Formats: sequence, structure tokens, C-alpha cells
Amino acid sequence: MKKDILAVFGIVLIIALLISGTHIQSADEYYLTHIDDITPESETVTLSIRCDTVLQNYENLDPALKSAEFVPPDGVILPPTEYVLREGDTVFDILERAVRYNKIQMEFQGAKESPFGSVYIQGIHYLYEFSCGSLSGWTYRVDGEFPHYGCSLYKLSDGQNIEWIYTCALGQDVGAGWMGEDEK
Amino acid sequence: MKAFANIHPLVEMTYFMSVLIVSMFFSHPVLQTEALIGGILFCAALQGKKAARDIGFYLTLFLMVAVTNPLFSHNGVTPLFFLNGNPVTLEAVLYGVLLAVTVIGVLLWCKAYGEIMTSDKFLYLFGKAIPKLSLVLSMALRFIPAYLRQSRRVSRAQKAMGLYSGKSITDRVKNQARVFIAMISWSLENAMETSASMKARGYGKKGRTNFSLFRFYASDGVLLCLCLLLFMIPIMGAACGITRFTFYPRVDKIETTPAAIVVYAAFGMLALLPFILEVKEAIVWNCYRSKI
Repeated sequence: MKKDILAVFGIVLIIALLISGTHIQSADEYYLTHIDDITPESETVTLSIRCDTVLQNYENLDPALKSAEFVPPDGVILPPTEYVLREGDTVFDILERAVRYNKIQMEFQGAKESPFGSVYIQGIHYLYEFSCGSLSGWTYRVDGEFPHYGCSLYKLSDGQNIEWIYTCALGQDVGAGWMGEDEK
Repeated sequence: MKAFANIHPLVEMTYFMSVLIVSMFFSHPVLQTEALIGGILFCAALQGKKAARDIGFYLTLFLMVAVTNPLFSHNGVTPLFFLNGNPVTLEAVLYGVLLAVTVIGVLLWCKAYGEIMTSDKFLYLFGKAIPKLSLVLSMALRFIPAYLRQSRRVSRAQKAMGLYSGKSITDRVKNQARVFIAMISWSLENAMETSASMKARGYGKKGRTNFSLFRFYASDGVLLCLCLLLFMIPIMGAACGITRFTFYPRVDKIETTPAAIVVYAAFGMLALLPFILEVKEAIVWNCYRSKI
């Protein structure tokens, strides 16, 4: 019987380890994020989320998403909004704060799970990678340029303009010249 | 009580293939539930009280599959709570439940297949056309049950020798590990011996005749037609898009148009067919017995 107690203890230990690594929040608690008020001294950045390319390739879109609720007719998921920049904020931090504040659904792959060592945005507002053809996904642009690395590696500075845009052709249709690794 | 086992193998094979194809490839809640209920009833009719022993295993598997999906899929409009910053949604939970129903339904149908389609039936159907492949397939299909039977035998022998006869879990795990090692060599040897003995009997050679007791009666023909008809209706439904059902981002409503109800009814009939046959056989048997 002693051996059994040891085995049970080991299993309990593993379960406890698994649970301690997770962080559970209720929906209200999650959306209750604090957005800093904009004061004259605070540094700010502008963020917008758009999906115009989906409207141009509407026939390729997943039938389940073909409604104005999931794809807004003007392609704007989040209009350009100013957010306060905190010390050391990356593009991902700003995006996460903004979608939480506006209650926009988002799914991402953590930096640890991604082979690029950066957070990968899988879907925003129910619009996922591959939802509109096999070359579609989310990409981002800062001050009109596509950084060729992940959004949690990009450190922001005052006054920058971030655009999250949905592409249906690996970035070619939104002006990113480099093939392949644009989707971050 | 094996009314279904006495039907011609061709009909049985067609039947199992059509049920399995629908339950594997149609992710529709109504069809999947029908497949699961049909599978449960069929297995219960085939095995009687023995079937109840596996309930614990199936429930655990059900929970595991149902819980796993919402942990990895965060799509859906109704967040229940947030886990490490990712939403756990109602849609993902429901999809997980459907996946669990599908997995267990298919498992039960495969179990019934294993009970009904014995190796001789399989070889009777495919032995002439594709001798090598059908021998390999029939050996592969009977591998797990044969493995379990043999491992129980080895385990009993070890117990009789007084090895690891303690009641504690660790002892049992140790015993299982020992049996497992013995089983690996047994299974390799067994596969070789089987193929050697089939070769010695001239299996797959030209001019070799087979003896089998299977005869295609008129009732088998009727059943075959019925089975194909009931199978074609869901296929047509899929072609018309009736059986399409999406969970993300919002769960679809279950269609209740007349065409959809015909599809549900047809597959329900198909899934319950063997159970109905078994029950009919049991009633007839009891009637005959009461007359004696």
C-alpha cells in the first residue's frame, strides 16, 4: 500500500503543477482592463484593425462568416484610435489592450509555442488565418512599413501608427513586397 | 443472439462501410447522435451484460476529448471564462462534445464490426480479388482482440507462478510492463507463423478453391437494397448542403425542413437496423420457445 500512496502523491503533484501554471479569469474580469487616460504629457500610438481585402475576395470567405456581423461592410473592425504607450510596450501589448477594451475576440499563439520566438496572431474578430483562402491571415504595418518580424518583438515609440490588416495573398494585396514570412 | 451475424458477408460489409462513412465524415449533431445511439444499442445487443464493463473507459474518453478541444480552440462568440488570456468558449465546448460523440460512436461501430466480420468473412469477400492485402488487413483487424486475449493468458500464467500477485497499483503496472515485453515478441512471431501457415495451405495460388457456407438469400438482397437506399439519402443530403453544420463562430441552428428530417430519419433507420433485427430475432425465438 505504501507504493500506492507514493503513486497517488506523484499524480496529485503533476496535477497541481498543471493547475498552478494556468490563470483563470471570468469573462467580465478579463474585459475589465484599465486603459490609461490620455494626458498632454503621455506618449501615445494609434492603432487600427481593418479587413478590406476580405470584401474584395468575398467568394473565398468561409460561408459561416458571410455576414455583416463578422465582416463589417466597410472593412473596419477598429477605427484608428489613440492609446497611451507604456514603458517597453510592443505592438502585441497595444493590440491586446485594445481588443480587450473593445471586447473584440482574438486568438494568438504564445511566444513560447511559436517557432519564430514571437506571438503569432491567429485570428481577430472571428476572422482567422486561412478563413479567406489558403494564403490569408493577419499582418501588421507600422508607419506604412511592414516589419519582417513578430509583433511582440517590435518595440514602439511615441506617435507611431500601427495598422493590423487582413491579407488574402500573403501580404501581396496589401503592399508587402516580401513573400512568405509577412504574417506575424 | 446474433441475427445480424447470419446475414451474407457482402451485405454486412456494405452496411458497416455505409454507417462508418457517415459517422466519420459527417460532422452533424443529429447524425452523430443517431450513430452513437445505434452503436450503443448494437453493442449491447451483441454482448449483453459484458458491454457494460467498458462504460468507465468510454466515459473517461468522452470527457477527455470534450475537454481537450476548448483548451486548444478559442474561436466562438460566447466566452465562458478566460484561460491564460485566451477565451474558453461555449462553441468550442459544444464542438468538443460532438467530437467525443463521433469518436465513441466510431469506436463502438468498429467494435461491432470486429464481433460480426470475422476473418473468414473478410477473406471470403476479398481473398480472391486482393489476396495479399486482404490477409494483411484481416490480420491487422484481429490483432487487438487477439493481443488482449493472449496478454490475459500471459498475465494469468505469471500470477499462477506467484509473480507480482500483490494488489497494489504499482505491482499491477509492473506486471503489465512485463507482460507487454512478452507480448511484443509473441505478436511478431504470431504474424510470421500465420503468414507461413497460409502459404503452406496454398493461399492466393491459382486454382485453389474455397469452401464457405455463405449463401445469398432473397432476404439478403432486400436488406442490401434497403441499406444502399438509406445510405444514399444522407449522401444526397450532403450534396445539397443539408448536412452542413458549423460551430464557429456561432453554432448553427439544426435544420428542420422536410428534406432535413428525411435525411435524419433515413440515417436513424440505418443506424438502428441491426438492433431492430436482433430484437425481432429475440421475439421470434421466444415465441417459438413458448410453443414447445
